[in-house]
Amino acid sequence: MKSHQNFGQELLKSLKDWARVSSPWVLHFNTGSCNGCDIEILATLTPRYDLERLGVKLQASPRQADILLCTGPVTRQARERLVRIYAQMPEPKYVVAIGSCAISGGVFRGCYNVMDGIDQVIPVSAYIPGCPPRPEAVIDGLVKVLASIHSPGHKIPPEILEGALDPEKVAA
Amino acid sequence: MNSEEIITVATGVVKSWDWATETSQPLPKQLDVKVKLIKELVPIIVGLRVKRLGYLAAITGIDLGPEVGEMDVLYQFCPGDVVITLRVRVPRQEAMLPSLCEIIPSAEVFERELQEMFGIQMLGLHTTEHLYLPDDWPDGVYPMRKDFDPQILSH
Amino acid sequence: MNTKQEPQRFVIPIGPQHPALKEPGNFQFTVDGEIVTKAFVRLGYAHRGIEKAAEERTWIQDLYLIERVCGICSHIHALAYCLAVEQLAHVEAPPRAQAIRVLVAELERIHSHFLWMGVSGHEAGFDTFFMYSWRDRERVMNILEKLTGNRVNYSANVLGGVKFDLDKEQIASIRSGIDFLEERTRHYLDVVATDFMFLQRTRGIGVMSRAQAEIMGAVGPTARASNVARDVRKDAPYAAYKEYPVDIILDERGDLEARFEVRLKELFESFYLIRKILDTLPGGELTARMPRKVPAGEAVMRVEAPRGELLYFIRSNGSDKPERLKIRTPTICNLTSVVKLAIGHQLADVPMILAGIDPCFSCNDRSVQIRTSSDPDGRMLSWDELRQHGIDFYKRLEK
Repeated sequence: MKSHQNFGQELLKSLKDWARVSSPWVLHFNTGSCNGCDIEILATLTPRYDLERLGVKLQASPRQADILLCTGPVTRQARERLVRIYAQMPEPKYVVAIGSCAISGGVFRGCYNVMDGIDQVIPVSAYIPGCPPRPEAVIDGLVKVLASIHSPGHKIPPEILEGALDPEKVAA
Repeated sequence: MNSEEIITVATGVVKSWDWATETSQPLPKQLDVKVKLIKELVPIIVGLRVKRLGYLAAITGIDLGPEVGEMDVLYQFCPGDVVITLRVRVPRQEAMLPSLCEIIPSAEVFERELQEMFGIQMLGLHTTEHLYLPDDWPDGVYPMRKDFDPQILSH
Repeated sequence: MNTKQEPQRFVIPIGPQHPALKEPGNFQFTVDGEIVTKAFVRLGYAHRGIEKAAEERTWIQDLYLIERVCGICSHIHALAYCLAVEQLAHVEAPPRAQAIRVLVAELERIHSHFLWMGVSGHEAGFDTFFMYSWRDRERVMNILEKLTGNRVNYSANVLGGVKFDLDKEQIASIRSGIDFLEERTRHYLDVVATDFMFLQRTRGIGVMSRAQAEIMGAVGPTARASNVARDVRKDAPYAAYKEYPVDIILDERGDLEARFEVRLKELFESFYLIRKILDTLPGGELTARMPRKVPAGEAVMRVEAPRGELLYFIRSNGSDKPERLKIRTPTICNLTSVVKLAIGHQLADVPMILAGIDPCFSCNDRSVQIRTSSDPDGRMLSWDELRQHGIDFYKRLEK
């Protein structure tokens, strides 16, 4: 039974080590959002939050991306490109829907030019709610996605994995 | 020019040459002009431009509905703190208006939007390409009309 | 829809993948060597049908819709909407509320200009600039969060006033935050005006004369950098701008460097205004009573968003929903100027010319179609590739 103090640091270190080995490459795609979510995602790269220290790299090409971060309610014009980007990503691939619009269409649900959410067009692995979610929420969601990915040859210890999904344990 | 001067000069412009216009002032800094003959629209706008009152801020379409059978198009000019609205009425069937893009370059994007959203043909506009609507949008469907039915779009 | 006179366009994909895919681009440029000879814009990626949706929702529901037209300038959209509806209802929000609205609007202008600075720096290849400006921007995000509860989409406005008041602690944190940001703005102004590599990408590039700016209907800092004295806060003051007037910042040069300097110098006006509001905040109520049904009529409301003049037109038929809501954003006006300005410029300058108008970067996967006389069908570049083209072009010049 590890003390709370060490737990958070161990979790971060374990994820950091794992991420450095797998180094997930992330592609960001906006399907017609108001940019609120996108600027918070961009903010995670800037010094205050610094997602890159977790080994996450922002990529430009779908063919080299592991994770697709999607924002926006999916306008009809963006739909085709979204499908194409998803098709170009190699397996295994994961899609994260960020923000209320990406989850359900948000405030634009029912508008004539929107598809009402990413999962209406491609399969989604994780949802990060918010309007927009703050950078901490984006990082938290991304860490959970990474923790749920089992990379062969480098497993996260089960008690760490369980802890990653237990808010009380990570409170340290 | 202060707002009173602007309104005076603008009123002078729209009433010159015996043009068929009707003016009113709903608010102290607003001049509303009903342009009854579409062929007078462009000369009136040229007149405003010549007097340096012709900063075109927006072109707004309003569908009055299938029962009324007509649509309003508002040309909103904003010199200083005054709003001059030129109001034209077009029929819903075969709606046509002269394009301003030869005299006002920024009118192009406003007119492209009017064209695709309301189905008003802008004569002299050199493109019918969509500005906002997607490529696979069905022909003859104008989303800002009151009788637009989203069911017509097959998702 | 077969109305094109141009030949059918095919995409030559880069790298091994599926054969010819028709890819819609936001911009189409025709080039002769490196020089742009024609330009055409086609939007649509962020078109959500908001104006139509507004007709189907009540006045209060529309406020929440309007706040999300743009995540960067959410407050100014909501402010324009509220002022227009208040005008229809013959309601005046109380002075304290108007002052707080202006305070948040100026804070938003600060966040928007810092954001733009970073993004423009990134377009020119100066990622350090991007990182520093966004790090500093976090200070104003903190202030906004302290005041309103959210970093983005502050939701400060209600029909008739504002939702929150200011206490001593918030006021103190605004003051110290402004001091910090003012010092940083001075530093960035210095960089922009003296850094050789930066000037190479901005000085004398994208020049728009005053006449061109007026004819093309440019607005905001883009127009003011070409000596067009157009600023709605001064021309047609709204909310508390009558009590707290601003000076217009103008620049005669009309190039990209001027556009950078105008935006940075404007920030000093914002800092000054914020301090003045905090010193002389009027007492009183935060909201005025609004009728449930808005009387019939029409209202036009113009406000100065960070990117330029924003216009709202609302027609009410006396019911609980608007008959018509029209939003005319500043970017759509300035896009005409980009399209016309690009002609005669090098392709390598296009990313910066676009960044210079501070566009809503709604689609990070913008693509660009480049056509030449020898290749009229054209090839597609992603925006990243076009940006890199610009960066590489200027790197080669140094050698």
